[in-house]
Amino acid sequence: MAELQHFSGAGSVETVNYSSTLSSTEQDLSSQDSSQVPEAASAEVEVHDSSDITEETSGPIKLVAEKDQKTLFAVLQFLRKNNLGETVNALEQEAEKAGVKLKGDPASGSQLSTDEVSSLLSAYSNEADPSSYEDNYRLLQQCIETSLDAHKCELAQLSYPVFIHMYLVLIYNHHETKAKSFFHRFSGVLEDFHQNDLSQLSAVTMKSQMEGNNFIFSLRSNKYVVRISQDSNDMLKRYLEEKNKPLVQDIIQSHITLDVFEGLPRTRTQIKASAGGLCGEARQDENKVKVFYGLLKEPDIDIPLEDDDDLDDSQDGSSKSKKRKKKEFLSKKNKADPNAPALTRIPLPEIKDADKLEKINIAKESLKRVRLGGMERVAPSVCCYTFTNAFGTVTAVDISDDSSLLAAGFQDSHIRVWSLTPRTLRTVKSAAELSLLDKEGDDIFERMMDDCTGVESKTLFGHSGTVYALSISPCRTLLVSSSEDGTVRLWSLLTWTNLVVYKGHVWPVWGTQFGPHGHYFVSCGQDKVARLWVTDHHQPVRMFAGHLSDVDCIAFHHNSNYIATGSSDRSVRVWDVLNGNCVRVFTGHKKPVLCLAWSPDGRYLASAGVDTDILIWDIAAKVMVGMFKGHTAAVETLAFSRDGEVLASGGLDNTVKVWDFQQVIWDIDTDDIGMQRGHATITDHNYLLSDFPTKESPIFHLHFTRRNLLLSVASFLNPS
Amino acid sequence: MCNLALMAESKTPGFWTKNCEKSGLAAVSTDSIKAAAESIGISQLPDQVSVRLANETTFRIKEIFQDSLKFCNHRKSRKLSCQDIDNALKSKNIEPLYGFVSKDFIPFRFSSGGGRELHFVEEKELDLNDIINAPLPKITYDVAIKAHWLAIEGVQPSIPENPAPEKQFSIDILKKGESKEPKTGIKALKSCHVQNNNPLISAKKPDSSSTSLVSLKPQFTHELSVEQQLYYKEITEAAVGSSEARRAEALQSLATDPGLAQMLPRFSTFVSEGVRVNVVQNNLALLIYLMRMVKALMDNPTLNLEKYLHEMIPAMMTCVVSRQLCTRPDVDNHWALRDYAARLMAQICRSFSTSTNLIQSRITGTFCKCLHDDKSSLAARYGSVAGLAELGPNVIQSLALPRLRVEGDRIKNILESPLLNAIDRTAAEHLRGLLVKHCGHVIKGLRQPPDLSEDYSNEYGYLGPLICQHITKLREQEAHKSRLLASAGLNRPAMGIGSRPSLMSTGSSSSQQNSSLSSSPNLDHQFSLNSNPSSVGASSRMTFYGSNSKTSMFDGS
Repeated sequence: MAELQHFSGAGSVETVNYSSTLSSTEQDLSSQDSSQVPEAASAEVEVHDSSDITEETSGPIKLVAEKDQKTLFAVLQFLRKNNLGETVNALEQEAEKAGVKLKGDPASGSQLSTDEVSSLLSAYSNEADPSSYEDNYRLLQQCIETSLDAHKCELAQLSYPVFIHMYLVLIYNHHETKAKSFFHRFSGVLEDFHQNDLSQLSAVTMKSQMEGNNFIFSLRSNKYVVRISQDSNDMLKRYLEEKNKPLVQDIIQSHITLDVFEGLPRTRTQIKASAGGLCGEARQDENKVKVFYGLLKEPDIDIPLEDDDDLDDSQDGSSKSKKRKKKEFLSKKNKADPNAPALTRIPLPEIKDADKLEKINIAKESLKRVRLGGMERVAPSVCCYTFTNAFGTVTAVDISDDSSLLAAGFQDSHIRVWSLTPRTLRTVKSAAELSLLDKEGDDIFERMMDDCTGVESKTLFGHSGTVYALSISPCRTLLVSSSEDGTVRLWSLLTWTNLVVYKGHVWPVWGTQFGPHGHYFVSCGQDKVARLWVTDHHQPVRMFAGHLSDVDCIAFHHNSNYIATGSSDRSVRVWDVLNGNCVRVFTGHKKPVLCLAWSPDGRYLASAGVDTDILIWDIAAKVMVGMFKGHTAAVETLAFSRDGEVLASGGLDNTVKVWDFQQVIWDIDTDDIGMQRGHATITDHNYLLSDFPTKESPIFHLHFTRRNLLLSVASFLNPS
Repeated sequence: MCNLALMAESKTPGFWTKNCEKSGLAAVSTDSIKAAAESIGISQLPDQVSVRLANETTFRIKEIFQDSLKFCNHRKSRKLSCQDIDNALKSKNIEPLYGFVSKDFIPFRFSSGGGRELHFVEEKELDLNDIINAPLPKITYDVAIKAHWLAIEGVQPSIPENPAPEKQFSIDILKKGESKEPKTGIKALKSCHVQNNNPLISAKKPDSSSTSLVSLKPQFTHELSVEQQLYYKEITEAAVGSSEARRAEALQSLATDPGLAQMLPRFSTFVSEGVRVNVVQNNLALLIYLMRMVKALMDNPTLNLEKYLHEMIPAMMTCVVSRQLCTRPDVDNHWALRDYAARLMAQICRSFSTSTNLIQSRITGTFCKCLHDDKSSLAARYGSVAGLAELGPNVIQSLALPRLRVEGDRIKNILESPLLNAIDRTAAEHLRGLLVKHCGHVIKGLRQPPDLSEDYSNEYGYLGPLICQHITKLREQEAHKSRLLASAGLNRPAMGIGSRPSLMSTGSSSSQQNSSLSSSPNLDHQFSLNSNPSSVGASSRMTFYGSNSKTSMFDGS
């Protein structure tokens, strides 16, 4: 309940809403019929609409028992605090009907509320001598320094969490000057990558500032996880018992989780590779669930490979080799992946004729694909689309899967779509004209478009804040965009109008992406939650909560069953769409994660962000398997080639870099014991294949065409 | 809170306390709080309150900035903008500062008076009429997309849309930590060693030179074309190779070609590194070739060596005053190299010495230091005297004459010592000859005849009588000449042209010169002989040079 105090009004309403929608969404997903909308989902939740909140809250009231009364008081208190007077009255009336007396004196309510807050903070109340903290911390340092080399690195992991919590205890107990001197004395010796957090921490100098601060809230509501080997753990325990220092022991007990593993202690590089999370590393047990990372079996479509290819058929040799290629291609398609989820695990939209045509196109194009990896690899060709006269106002870019459309979002909240092919962008004909058309005709999709309206680019207006992310649907008729105004909008690329405004995120929405099969899309934002939406529902069907800070980027798995998110808490999480559970947590980034990419085989995940390192994660083995260093500024985009042999990255350092991903996979030593235990293994091998600098143009988006031509989108910054 | 944030926005420099050494410790000063309180009519704010407020303000401002960084990240920008701060305020449910835009980076003005310092935002009063009647600003161009090839099969085409190749080159250098160019220089040096068939040199070649050369690389920021690289390779090989004809052509090219400016840094490095390596190995021939390269570069009117003097001067200085320049100092004629390098040095002084870079005084200082150092060898002393002499009679008069007696005693001691060896004797004799000639020239101007041997002996010590003889001879020659001129009624013939060794002539013409002008020994020719030790004995060269050239070498200067 204390969480309520830390979300603003709308956020907490969402949490209430979540619980009620969750039960209904199971059936919602299974039923493809959109007319059969579940009850709870139909209840529109407008943030400031008090009557709706009453409806929502009236449900739980009927369940009121003695112990729930407390909860009700808190809700009431919250409503009063936010001046929702009408709702308060309604709730009180409802409660009375249910036989609960709420109309007690308001003082008791407020008393409760403050109690809630203080109960959370009270973990810090401590009557120990404030000056003993420095001695105690120095003792811990001594313990680390005097330990054997093998354990030194492991124990050194403790110095940061113990430091921050000691500091917070001092602040909480009003020993401001002591806290300050404690901070100055010891902050210098901590690892570099903690500096960002330390500067946030140093800003907090009074107890009053601890309340309502997101960062502090994350620290004190989560135990800091330190992974440590059995031996090191025993050593630490022995040492602390010997010295009889209850202060350090207390801190470790109440604020730190020691995740103990069997076997040899980790090396310094291993520890450093996976360190950096806001609350330490992921616990082992968090990554236990099996993930069906394989690709779905392609539906059987009769792909007419033989008929058209008029150009090459004249040459016998080439057509023969082509045939062989086709055979390989077909055989590959038909094999069932043992790691794939069942086709019906997540209901997918039915395949339409247009989708079949698209699949045939993909298959044809992929035959002409250039190999960028392997022995006979060709160095990549890069076509760069540069925005001119944009003056750095471009904030989001996406290219459609068939590379025919480019959409860009701007700082001044408009969206523009360009056609990258000679085909112009046309609007659909008016309803009157459409009614005259023969709907059974083969060329209906062509005839329904108005040829007079063809232009090279179209502008979409609707958002009222910077557009942070865009995604074009696989069928190229829809576009979702997310913005600073807290909304996600669905646009039609046939009528060029806004179809739906999805409200739910209250704060800026940092990322959004269409699912690989359409129909579903995901969004994530500053409210630390990622949401799964279905285009025909105005409410999310899943919410993925667990990140400790903003969720900065999101990526749909190729089989539509999983979602990866990257966050400002420096962790990457993988979520199961079926039940909304977090199935993988990876730590290792030292700064916010800004982009993610799934490898085409679905097994590996690449992530990168402000700390400029690109990390490769193995979903099956649950470990980090590679690290690409080389960028000098934030990495904004990642893209795997269509065959998954190379990884391209681009960012604010104005370069496109291409990395040998295949080699990384070959280099993985599956017999390595450390790896089996989930320790990151990083080689010093340089995987950089090529490096293409641009002229003062940061790279915003990378996209491999179906033939493996790399498209990059950059924005020219006038050097003025 | 909103008020505080507003104040925070006007993040005046004075608003923060100045004693914030670390960026993380910046804090709002209590004075700022008091000033703000006064501005809204609260005077005499208690200290405790202002401290608390300052603390709180600092915290809130930091919080806002941390949040605004997020917005900056998601805008895919490296620069924090006002918009980001507005967005951060908005997400904290604080009204943003509408319309806070400024052309300046820091739009604050400073003012002080009455013991107080203040920073403020300048807000001019604007006349609405002016704004309404002002011509409309130009409509900005529409955003457009332009496609170009960033790379074609891994190669970046050189089109205006792509960054210039120089930039890439420098990136390559930084990445690899070494450049290609100096390597070719070293290779050229190596190849010439092989051509010389000198097993000593090729065997002894120290590895450290190549690494130290690599460490010089950041100077090479532009790339040479393939043609230029070929030219560089050819020239450096020819200039230090065994074929005199090719060398002459190479030097001719260096002295006359107009387009070498871009390669000058490489040549300069080639020379300085070449000297460094070869002086250790006492390879006289190569040192001479390198000095001739310097001469050729100096003669080229299109080149300005000024930027590369820091490499050239030490190399040349080494060739003048080094303790040992050849493997057999008793017979090899390293004196000619010292003289030659000294002349080049003088030329450098004349061309480039200014009152700011003080090249001449620094060079003179180096020579003097060597001369005054009791431990320096005779060969080094010879070099410094030669160097000083090339700088003109005034320099000799002020710097060498006072040392004449000391030097004389030293020479006397050496020559009369029972343990005299051939090396010392040759060195002492050369030094004696040099001192007599140059000092004699100067003293002649200082003293009036009659020249008495005793007077000279008293004044200049051991060398006195010799100088006296020299001066007497000079005076006789002068008198003879003036008589001849008077009788012929002609002007003095232009001796300088013939007597100055022509360094750039080709092999065929040099032999002609040699025969026609017996007074000018051709340095080129001589060095070409020198490079083939097997064909001509070193001692014969010694006599050839010693007997013919000595006087003529200095006539030009």
